[in-house]
Amino acid sequence: MDAAVLEDITKVYRVGDQEIHALAGVSLTIPEGDFVAITGPSGSGKSTLMHLLGCLDTPTAGRMEICGKDLSSANSDTLARARNREIGFVFQAFNLLPKLDVVGNVELPLLYSNVSTRERRERAIAAAQSVGLGERLKNRPAQLSGGQCQRVAIARALVNNPRILFGDEPTGNLDSQTGRMVLDLFRSLNEGGRTIVLVTHDPKVAATARRIIEIHDGRISREYSP
Amino acid sequence: MSPFRLLDTALREITAHKFRSALSMLGVVLGVGSLIATMALTRGIERGVRAFMQQIGGLEFVNVTNKEISGQQMDFWNLSPGRTLMDARVIAASAPLISHISPEMNLGAAISVGEISDRNLVIGVWPDHAVAARHELAQGRFITAWDVERATKAVVIGDEIRTRFFPGKSATETLGKQLLINGSPFQVVGVFKRYEREQDKRMREILAARNKGAARAGSSRHRFDPFRRKNTSILIPLSTMFHEFKAGLFPMDDMESVRIDTLTLRVRNLDHFREALEQVRNALNVTHRGVDDFDLETREEWFDRMESNIAATKMSGGLIAAISLIVGGIGITNIMLASITERIREIGIRMAVGARQRDIFLQILAESVSISLLGGACGIIAGIALVEVLIRVAPTENLPVIEATSILLSVAFAVLIGAASGIYPALKASRLEPISALRYE
Repeated sequence: MDAAVLEDITKVYRVGDQEIHALAGVSLTIPEGDFVAITGPSGSGKSTLMHLLGCLDTPTAGRMEICGKDLSSANSDTLARARNREIGFVFQAFNLLPKLDVVGNVELPLLYSNVSTRERRERAIAAAQSVGLGERLKNRPAQLSGGQCQRVAIARALVNNPRILFGDEPTGNLDSQTGRMVLDLFRSLNEGGRTIVLVTHDPKVAATARRIIEIHDGRISREYSP
Repeated sequence: MSPFRLLDTALREITAHKFRSALSMLGVVLGVGSLIATMALTRGIERGVRAFMQQIGGLEFVNVTNKEISGQQMDFWNLSPGRTLMDARVIAASAPLISHISPEMNLGAAISVGEISDRNLVIGVWPDHAVAARHELAQGRFITAWDVERATKAVVIGDEIRTRFFPGKSATETLGKQLLINGSPFQVVGVFKRYEREQDKRMREILAARNKGAARAGSSRHRFDPFRRKNTSILIPLSTMFHEFKAGLFPMDDMESVRIDTLTLRVRNLDHFREALEQVRNALNVTHRGVDDFDLETREEWFDRMESNIAATKMSGGLIAAISLIVGGIGITNIMLASITERIREIGIRMAVGARQRDIFLQILAESVSISLLGGACGIIAGIALVEVLIRVAPTENLPVIEATSILLSVAFAVLIGAASGIYPALKASRLEPISALRYE
């Protein structure tokens, strides 16, 4: 089964009277276990593409299938469920909740799926340990370094064991050494069989992937392997 | 999310912003506090009025009163003898729907026992007076038919008369003692129990506990007290009253034709109230020779008026409390709106990891309900404290009563207000777009 299939996808935003064609006919298939990097200049539509693939939004037209489910015109509850079960996000700005400690942040997705309190704790601690944060379970984001924060975010993205892991400029806020560490983590996850989609404008980051897709003006302009 | 989880998240959020939460609770605290206080006060008033109504007798009592003669009958007003003992005798003979008849004759007299003397009202009564005035004996017996027939010199006294004229003697010790009414000796055959309202009883107990009983015991005398009249009663047989004190004033008078001061009747069965009144009216038309100079005063209207006063008091108290609760609710809405604006990004993150609109909605709602409930709890404590302070600082006629139902009602109102004030902010939060919420700075 393919992790994601897009057929002739368009996405139009309306800002006042103006129509902005963020995506104009994108077709793309991401097989399970793939490691894809989506690149392109800002305003090219790569973020929009990631939002669609990440089930944060639905296309204006075209067919979109994520993990075998047609979500082309899904309602918000179905999308939320898909995000909860099939997808993990890692953001550039970490997007952790400052009031919660490491375990609290990591277990957040499990709050919205029917998991008992005990199992939730256990899985969150296991996920935090798997990214090397076993010693900092009670710390809050403000007490962690940038690299540690991003690892908390990765643990959170993985805690529900999703099929696809998205990284939206995951190294953008990190120094090059920590960035490399995070990318290594992504690569080893992919070697373990997980589908990974990175959105980045940094060619060095994109080079980590097996396949690079370049977007220009809402269309795929080039597709190649590094 | 499970309800427990929702509550936990809500409480975390509330404790994270203690001052803000306290501020938003304040309105509910005041609202619930005033609700508790007004309910306690009106309940106290209600109880007081009901106790009063019970003491003066129920609906089945009817007073025969004098009425101004209308213009057409002015010419033959002197045909009617007015209310006399004959009225009572005729009603007893011809109105079977009347169960008790209590004619009274009053006399302001000099009372003395040994060194102590004072003026007090003396009332000549029939045995039925015990029922009509709802008297209860502490010791001895009431005026009997035999007393009336023989015009004995028996006297039954209220508790306050006993303490005034027989200081230091118990009710039992007072029985058989002599009491002079206008110099004529009477023997005490009965003593009534002390009539008092719950509040006075409690006050007396508190004062007794503080050992200052003597200093304040008479304080209730200065206030309006519906039971005082009963506590100061001195009752003798009606016939004795006539022969000792009234006969001979007008040589032509006999006992049946001398005017009485009060005539109280008790209807046997409330189901036949109208018919009973009709029987009385017919009897009195005969004795008054057709002159329309009497009225039958029932307590129905009076009680209706009291009831509607109670309802109005409750209503206005409730309205004031409701307004302050609504204002409190608006306060919560306001702060919740500010709080979700501050947390748009958090909401976006929660949505990104799989929170549905409903989850966000419930989270915000749980928060506002929790704030309101906490405020309600503080309000209940504040209300109870306020009532306690009111009792101490400004003792009223009617002791405020806090009931479990009013506390439950307040909690229910707090939840309702919390839910109502949370709906709009919760809707607003749940309708955020995940993408724009995530990007919000």
